[in-house]
Amino acid sequence: MSTAQTRVAMPRPWSAETQRPARNKVLRGIIKHAVLICFLLIMLYPLLWMVGASFRPGNQTFAGLGIFSDTYTAQNYADGWSVGNLNFSRYFVNSAIITVGAILGNLVACSLTAYAFARLEFRFKGVLFGLVIATMLLPQHVTLIPKYIIFNQMGWVNTYLPLVVPHWFAVDAFFVFLMVQFIRTLPKSLDESARIDGCGHWGIFWRIVLPMSLPAIGTTAMFTFVAAWNDLLGPLLYLPRSDLWTVSLGLNSFLDQTGQSTYGTLFAMATLSLAPIVGFFIASQRLLVEGIATTGLK
Amino acid sequence: MNRFSRRTTVLGVGVLTGVLLTTSGCLNGGGGAAQVSDGQGEVGGNIQIAWWGGESRNAKTNAVVEMFTEANPGVTTETQSADYAQYFNRLNVQAASQSLPCVVQMQDRQVNDYTKRQTLMPLDEMVASGAIDTSQIPPAVLDGGRGSDGKLYFIPYGIAWDALVVNTTLAEETDAGAPPEEWDWPTFVEYLRTAQKGLPEGKYAAPAGGQLQNTFYAWAVAHGIEVFNAEGKLGFTEAQLKEFWTMWLELQEEGVSLPPDMAAEEPPGADQGYLATGTTMVGALPGNALYVASQTLEGTDSGGELVSRRYPDGPAGIGNILVASGFGIAANCDNVPTSAAFIDFFTNDLEAGVGFAADNGAPTNTAVLEALTGSDSELPELKRAELEQYEAIVADNPPKVNYPPGFNAVFQQSFQRNYNEAAFGRQSVDDAVATFFAETNASLG
Amino acid sequence: MTITTVPEPVLAPSTTPRRRGGGRRGQGWAAFFFLIPWGAGIVLLTVGPMLYSLYLSFTSYDLLSAPEWVGLANYELMLADPRFWKSVRVTLVYVVVFVPLLQVVSMLVALLLNSRLRFLTGYRALFYLPSLMGASVAVAALWRQVFGAEGLVNAVLGVFGVEGVGSWVGDPNRALGTIIGLNLWAFGSTMIIYLAGLRQVPRELLEAAEVDGASRLRRFFSVTLPLMTPLAFFNVLMGTINAFQSFTGAYVVSGGTGGPVDSTLFYTLYLYERGFTQLQMGYASAMAWILLVVLAVVTGLFFRSSRYWVHYGDES
Repeated sequence: MSTAQTRVAMPRPWSAETQRPARNKVLRGIIKHAVLICFLLIMLYPLLWMVGASFRPGNQTFAGLGIFSDTYTAQNYADGWSVGNLNFSRYFVNSAIITVGAILGNLVACSLTAYAFARLEFRFKGVLFGLVIATMLLPQHVTLIPKYIIFNQMGWVNTYLPLVVPHWFAVDAFFVFLMVQFIRTLPKSLDESARIDGCGHWGIFWRIVLPMSLPAIGTTAMFTFVAAWNDLLGPLLYLPRSDLWTVSLGLNSFLDQTGQSTYGTLFAMATLSLAPIVGFFIASQRLLVEGIATTGLK
Repeated sequence: MNRFSRRTTVLGVGVLTGVLLTTSGCLNGGGGAAQVSDGQGEVGGNIQIAWWGGESRNAKTNAVVEMFTEANPGVTTETQSADYAQYFNRLNVQAASQSLPCVVQMQDRQVNDYTKRQTLMPLDEMVASGAIDTSQIPPAVLDGGRGSDGKLYFIPYGIAWDALVVNTTLAEETDAGAPPEEWDWPTFVEYLRTAQKGLPEGKYAAPAGGQLQNTFYAWAVAHGIEVFNAEGKLGFTEAQLKEFWTMWLELQEEGVSLPPDMAAEEPPGADQGYLATGTTMVGALPGNALYVASQTLEGTDSGGELVSRRYPDGPAGIGNILVASGFGIAANCDNVPTSAAFIDFFTNDLEAGVGFAADNGAPTNTAVLEALTGSDSELPELKRAELEQYEAIVADNPPKVNYPPGFNAVFQQSFQRNYNEAAFGRQSVDDAVATFFAETNASLG
Repeated sequence: MTITTVPEPVLAPSTTPRRRGGGRRGQGWAAFFFLIPWGAGIVLLTVGPMLYSLYLSFTSYDLLSAPEWVGLANYELMLADPRFWKSVRVTLVYVVVFVPLLQVVSMLVALLLNSRLRFLTGYRALFYLPSLMGASVAVAALWRQVFGAEGLVNAVLGVFGVEGVGSWVGDPNRALGTIIGLNLWAFGSTMIIYLAGLRQVPRELLEAAEVDGASRLRRFFSVTLPLMTPLAFFNVLMGTINAFQSFTGAYVVSGGTGGPVDSTLFYTLYLYERGFTQLQMGYASAMAWILLVVLAVVTGLFFRSSRYWVHYGDES
């Protein structure tokens, strides 16, 4: 495959701007920025409002549609942080442990599985891949009880294991499928040349496919982070003991249908809980979208 | 393609058999008679305690749990809490795997779902043996913890009741003026109509009362109508429900009560609802929400004073019904003596009761109630006003509603949805009533 | 079973004819080792609960007592249940409107962001931000701020002299629209996948097309789009599956009821209500398995069609 050779030689991703004359380019740039910023302002209004509301005194949380207000206070942050038996620093640590465990598990297990389905020939491959897809088609609510019974029998309730271990067994078919699709966009000629250099399947997987799948890995890590970090039902069932609470359970405790809800502190802590995800996103998006360019392989 | 089916079937049958073998042992205890215990024995070891609520109740409950473990060295506790809806979701999953916490919080509105399936332990023997002392709880109030079989399944510690809370600042700008101390239904409706004429645009005199089940009970009970009959089915007639709904639909038509689209988006919780934000003049709230609602109202631009009134009386007398919450013991509990000791402590310890500060309704324990309403009570004035209203209601001996199994699963949602089908004009009142009856009776009993 | 048709087309275009010996030897064993974690997961954690729920669909099961065999009763009840059909209608409308909208918006924004603008990193993070809120309990309150009777949308309309519009979330004719809006708001994750795909389009191919005089639009349709088809296929298929199972947005905004008056009663929301509120897990399981069958057919059609429009890099 000759294209593969040229791709290796041309690592820079293509961009619409490269060929434009200068004057035109500036104008186009301004228009693009304007469009993006308008769109962003509309999209981010609810979040900006939430941040604004988190700095208002407790009984003025819903005082209006404006983002700014007359009085600002950090009281919600102080109150919110110290909520519960422990406080949010503990919940952040708990969430982080689960999230890291889930991400590592998904990366290892899903990439191994995806490599087999994308690159290897074996008997019953079609049937087994059908099984991968089929596991995504059943609403998870109806398998919740039998799963709970299994984990309860194993004595795993009130441990992090039910929220981490399944990820090490590639139960998230979504990511297996995603990685299969990514890997299948890679030219197979690279495998062949590696094979000629004496690589086995493990070598091809480790030296060729994984490095070239960095965008898929970044995407998987990011999506797993968001899903694990925001998960409410899992921790609710498996981590009832309050010293094991995650951030999402902590947030949920600000709302009480039967008593008093404190939306101000909820918004404050919800704002803080976004910080790690945003941080992770900014850190991982180099991998996510620049991956191909930086590895220089494609 | 056949390959797939055959292999899956073989695999499936194998796995299914395995799963059935491992799980059938723990899916319910086999429907035998529920365990009975007198609750006597050594208090020690570990128990799990579960309740619903948000952070403020968690803090207070945890403080009581700590007092209990200090008073009982050798006892360790694991506490679980979640918001009301989430709490019951988790409880049901735990029940399905026979791993309920020993001490579980219950309410009379859904206790029969659990008693019917013998998920809870009857407590009568423990009361008889003295393991749980109920002498400080008025007998009528204690009955709130009984299942439909007459046995005691939880010890009520807090009583909620519904009240009509009026924004007097708004009311006094209109000809209606401050609400009378007591009223009947025609006076109440007239009061709303008069008030609406003087209210500014965008304010409503009344909530969408037709969709509120508690408002309906109040109306029914005051008219001497039995809400549920002895068979656990609906005790009222279609004509009676139609009368109630028509009354509210007319008020909505006249612009006196909230339009249905606004009612649909009302935030949950008394402290965020339209009364608390000054949009409606009268709200039907849990009586113990007066204080939190007034705190929110203070923060609005218009501000406002709130007073609490009881539901209108009717030909049959008082309409306010009481809702009991309390702790019970799971049938799968392996530490009954300690669980009984905790329930006894939570319900009767004076210091604990005062510390809990009536966070989940008025205390059933008369000594605690007296301490909280007494002159040296540290409760805010509105909080004390709530408890005084409770005392007045209890003095009038309100009837108890016996909620049948299946009630919690369907009644409120079906009531609200079918009323709104009529309120949005998508169905006639008659059709809405008929659908409500069919849906609800299918699930009750 | 309907699933049987699913897998074949994916694997049909194998790169090279299967041959014994050479590099192919031992692929079965290699695959076996690569698939150990997944295989263990399927056997230990996934298939058992799935089949158990299939069994439950033929029982009456209230979670609190043992399941009781009732044969096809749940399936019969379902067909006669008006709310079941309501939930089917809500879900179908949602799928038909939402899935194409999501793809178009995600692709457009990804194209916009696939250029050498300043602050690109910042833009990407900001566009992705709403997806991070997920099912946060805060979302319901935020959505009322935008689509409530007194919300932002009506305030903006008021500026243009449009008054008395009323609530959007509270109106049964418009509530589903606000849920579509909410889920569209979180288009970030679909966009990220498109963006990653766009980054892989080799620049020289586009330049060659430009030299040949192809317009921008033409370059997009004949060069960029074909190269992105594996990811587009993934996004459309997963978007469809997720849309059929859409739950969280409606659950959070309607407080779990699917209201007002069932206008946002999504299929899985009704399934959840049946299973966990009404304690009819048998009925809920039956609903779940009907959905599985429907989705298997839909997925099968997708895979079957994919050979006509999806181009993989591993094909010669």
